Order: sequence, then structure tokens, then C-alpha cells
Amino acid sequence: MIERTRSIDIAARIILIVGVAFILAPLVIAFLTATLSYEQFVRNGGITLQVGTHFLDNLAYIWTETALPAQLWNSIVISTLVAAIKCAFAFTATFALVFFDNRLNRIVFGLTLVTVMLPLELVVITTYQIVANIAMPLNWILALTGLGEITGLGSDLRLSLLDTYVGVAAPIACASTSVFIYRQFFLSLPRDLPKAAAMDGAGPWRFMWDILLPLSWTPLVATFMFWFIGGWTQYLWPLVAASTPDAQPAVVGLARLATTEQDRIPEVPMLMTGALFVSFIPVLLIAVMQRQIVRGLNLSEK
Amino acid sequence: MRGDAIHLDAVTKSFGATPVIDAITATLGGGEFTVILGPSGCGKSTLLNMIAGLERLNSGKIRIGVREVQDLPPKDRGCAMVFQNYALYPHMTVEGNIGYALKVAGVRQPERSRRVAEAARVVELGGLLDRRPSELSGGQRQRVAIARAIVREPRVLLFDEPLSNLDAKLRHGMRMELSQLHRTIGATTVFVTHDQVEAMTLADKVMILNKGRIEQFDTPHAIYYRPASSFVAGFIGAPPMNLLPVTGGGGVLRLDDGTELARNPHEGPAILGIRPEKISIGDKGFAARVVYREDLGSHTAIVARLSGGQEVQVATPIGMHLDPADTITFDFPQDHLHLFDPATGLRLETP
Ligand SMILES: Nc1ncnc2c1ncn2[C@@H]1O[C@H](COP(=O)(O)OP(=O)(O)O)[C@@H](O)[C@H]1O
Ligand SMILES: [Mg+2]
Repeated sequence: MIERTRSIDIAARIILIVGVAFILAPLVIAFLTATLSYEQFVRNGGITLQVGTHFLDNLAYIWTETALPAQLWNSIVISTLVAAIKCAFAFTATFALVFFDNRLNRIVFGLTLVTVMLPLELVVITTYQIVANIAMPLNWILALTGLGEITGLGSDLRLSLLDTYVGVAAPIACASTSVFIYRQFFLSLPRDLPKAAAMDGAGPWRFMWDILLPLSWTPLVATFMFWFIGGWTQYLWPLVAASTPDAQPAVVGLARLATTEQDRIPEVPMLMTGALFVSFIPVLLIAVMQRQIVRGLNLSEK
Repeated sequence: MRGDAIHLDAVTKSFGATPVIDAITATLGGGEFTVILGPSGCGKSTLLNMIAGLERLNSGKIRIGVREVQDLPPKDRGCAMVFQNYALYPHMTVEGNIGYALKVAGVRQPERSRRVAEAARVVELGGLLDRRPSELSGGQRQRVAIARAIVREPRVLLFDEPLSNLDAKLRHGMRMELSQLHRTIGATTVFVTHDQVEAMTLADKVMILNKGRIEQFDTPHAIYYRPASSFVAGFIGAPPMNLLPVTGGGGVLRLDDGTELARNPHEGPAILGIRPEKISIGDKGFAARVVYREDLGSHTAIVARLSGGQEVQVATPIGMHLDPADTITFDFPQDHLHLFDPATGLRLETP
């Protein structure tokens, strides 16, 4: 018996080690490459396991000569916005879906499903048109009702959110995955809780604020982290929506590092240093919040 | 403090097509302890929720005292409620739970703490005020739920099966305490349960519900001794009353196969009811065979089969030795018979 569990132990460990090596290999290569200078990298003729001494030089270059530090700030703001918008809307929407009986609930819930199945990448052109002029729906109304003529506003108002934080963040936040998570959580709460609150004189808002929100703290924090990191790694939409380096998040800026001149071997060591630099904050977040994330995704009230 | 009477006037509620509460009209006496009793799913909770304001009426009126309340929100009705699963706020301390209603109502410290402490004292919860609900036993959570209900000094106290999650011993203790609490605070109390022992021991009056209608609304004594319908007769008592289809004629009640069961002037078909402990075993009467026996200490419960195949439960004094397959002779004493209409189930008053 003991023999057998030990052999299982050993097998499990080997599998684990192989798995970890598999996952870590790209990271190790990235780090090793980041320690080389451009000349060393070119001389090696590609990726090798050589350890160089240029990591700090590379880092200093990234810090002083590129837009990445400023774009890091953009990333922080955009990711925070993404996570905050997602959590706030999903929380209030789920609150309405779970605690208010309405014939339309099923339809609304179905619609939220659709937003999960339509990735932003698929509707990037339409999204661009809307963000480029968010007054578009208003224009339709003005034109349709003739109000534009009457008030003298016309029907050609313009308000572009391109190159703004909200313009980059809001479309990314338009997915309701959290609704499913919160819904499961709300349904795990004692069923009579809203009734008890009603008896105590608390209206719906009070119930949400005083009772539901504090109870949901763990799943809220966990999903917030999730969407923060999700926002951090977005590439395509920010690339489209933010045309100037000043407005771009770090991941987009990172890709720009790679494509400076044609016919030249790319600055791979610099690129790797940048990648490490850019992923530093999400990695730190996960390391610090690990326990909370796991607990929050367990989906039940403690 | 004295509670207000609750007047229900043709209160009706349906979920979809079938009525869950079907035009109930009744007056629950001010300061009285009314128990709503009925099988699971008969609409007890729905009725209670409508009194509380947690569920809308389809039609009808509810008055508490002199006020019509059916359109008022729960907080304006002067009711408080204790829920089956306590429904305590998990993230608040005991003090926070009890005091939440006061906080919402804008009662400031130190008045709030004073009243919370007072409510906690009534239910003997002192010393636990800093705990979270998850750190309490079932009985203690129950006390918190009760303290939370009485802290606002409600005119009406509503309980929805509050004891069903406690073990038997604790339940008995809580029953006595609830009875005492009711006497102390004097609020009109409405207590929903499916447990007839709770109903019979706690109630001033019992409302027996069946499929959204009142079968009987009377004192526990009347419900036991003069059940208004065969449903009530078969629901109350452990073991419940025996109910046998009979036909009356010529001063006797007979089974279909002609066996004479008892003397009674009723003419025509009827349901005959007799409580197990009222059946006497002796040498006069009619024969039955013992099919099952249980010694319960205080008495022996037997199940016997009559000649027509009907099974009858009998409670006999201890010391009577009966074994399965024995043949015994039953007598149904005339003054302990209940007769019910076979079509409507309603009690038939015999002259
Ligand atoms: N919100 C609801 N929607 C639909 N049906 C309900 C709802 N609440 C209760 N019911 C139905 O009404 C009936 C009575 O329920 P309830 O009052 O909870 O019964 P009880 O408390 O006597 O067990 C049950 O058949 C139940 O399924
Ligand atoms: Mg119920």
C-alpha cells in the first residue's frame, strides 16, 4: 500500500515538474534574452541559453528612452476602468435579475449571454464607428423625430471617444461574464435574506448597499482582479482605438518596440525586457491576491 | 404593549392559474397567539407573507387594527417576522443583526445599543453580541432572529416554521420560551407550522388550512374534540382519527359488508370517525384481527383489520397482551363518534 502511494507520488511529481518546466520555459528564455545586448543577440544568431550582463542597461533604456513607462500608467487606468465598469454593471444587473421577479428576466439574461458569445474582435469595426462618434444614436433620434430641425441642433452632432481612456476601456468592459458568477453567488445566499431586510425596513437600494455588497466582497475582488488582468492584456481594440502613443496602453506600445525599421533584425532583447517590464504589475497582483482570487471564485458565501 | 387584531377579508392569491389562497376571511384576535397549521404547500407561508407585506394580494383586504394595510410596504405595517432559516445577515455581528431595523429607522446610538441590549436580554443572548451568526448554534441563531423581530416592539409578530430546524429537545424548550415570550410582550402572534404538536401546545386559536382554504379556525380543544371536517379529523392527533365509510339505517351504522359498528340515528352514507384511544376492547361489539403492534411505554398502539378489510388504529392501555393474528372484539362508544358528510367532508351534527 505504502509502496504504491509512493510510486503515485513520484509519478505525480514528475508530471508536475514537466508541466512547470513547460510553462516556465518561455519565461526563462524571455528573461535570458533580456540580459543580452543587441550585438550579443545578433552574434548568437537567435535564441540561446546564454546569460548576459545587459539586463539593467536594457531596463534603463526602456525606462528613459521609450514611451512604456507612461503607457504603463495608461494600462493601469484603462484596466482599472475595465474592471470597475464590468464589476459595477454586472453587480447591479445581477441584483436586478436575481431579486426582482419580472417576465423579461429570461430575455435579459439571454441577451447577456449573447454579449459573452460576441467577442470584441468580431465587432471591432462597428464598435469603432460608435466610439468615433457616440452621438450617433442621438443623431438618429434627432433626424427621425425632426427635433434636430426644431431645436437648431441639426442631426450631425459629433463626440469622439477615440484616444481617451473611457473610449478604450468601455468596449472591452462590454461583456457580462461576471453576471454568471454573481448570479451563482447570489443564489447561494439564504433565500429569505431580502425578505428579512424588507421587514427591517430596508428598501432595495439599502439591501444592495448594506447587505448584498458586503457579502459579495470576496467574489467582487476576485472578478475585479480577473478583469483587470484581462484589460491589461488586451491588444487589438486598444491598437484600433488609440492611435497616438500617448493614449496607448503598454501592451500596444510593446508591440511597437518590435517594429521600428524594416530589413533589420528586431531588437529582441529590448522587446523581452519590455515584456518583463509590462507584465510586472499583473504578476505582482496575482502573487499578492492569489488567495482572495481562489476564495472568491469558490462561489459561495463563507 | 398589546397587539392589534388582524382582519382578513376575502384575501386571495394565485401563482399562475391555481389559487394558492382562496378568498380567506377571518379575524385573528388582538394579542392572541394564532397558529396557522396545514400540510406542506397548502399556502401557509404565502398567507403569512401577505400579512407581512412581502407578497401582494390578488384581491381582498387586510386590516391590522383599524388600518387597511394591503397596499402598505412591510415597514409601515408594524409587523416583524422570524424566518424558518433565520435569515440572519451573515456579515453582521449579533448586535448589528438585532439593531439593523433600528439603524434603518434612524435610531441613533446610544439609544440603539440600549434597545438591542434589552431585546438580547429578553431572549437571553447577553454576552454573544459581538459574535457572527456563523459562530452560533442553531438555538442561538433562533434567539437572534427573535430578538431582531422584537427589538422594534412590533404590534404583530409573525413566525414561519421557526422551530423546524432545531432538534427535538431544543424545540420543546423553545416552545415553552415562545409561549412565555408571547405572554411577556403581548403582541398579536401568528405562527405558521406543519407540526400539530406545536399548534396544539402554543395556540390560543388554530387555523387549519388545506389547499388555500380554512378547514377550521377554533381553539385547540374544539379542533381536537369537534373537528369541523374529515380533513381536520385525519390531520390532528397521533395516530390520527380512524375514518371509515359507513351507511346508517335503523339506528345503526354499518360497513358495506353489513358489520354493525355502532348505534347512531344517522340515515344514509357517512364517514365515521373515531379516535384510536376511544375504541374499547372487550367482549361486546364486533370482531377484528390484530395485524401489527407497537409498545410505546405509555400505551400500546395496534393496527387491526375489520371484516371488510379496513384497517383501524387503536391505542390500548399498557398491560393488555395482544399479538398479531389475535382476534379481538371492538366497541365504538356512541358519545365518541364523529360523523362527516362523504361528499363534502363536513361534520354532520347528529341529533
Ligand atoms: N413565488 C412563487 N411562485 C410560484 N408558486 C409559488 C410561489 N410561492 C409559493 N408558490 C406555490 O404556492 C403553494 C403554497 O406555497 P407556500 O405558501 O410556501 O406553502 P406552505 O408554506 O404551506 O408550505 C405551493 O404550491 C408553492 O409551490
Ligand atoms: Mg412554508
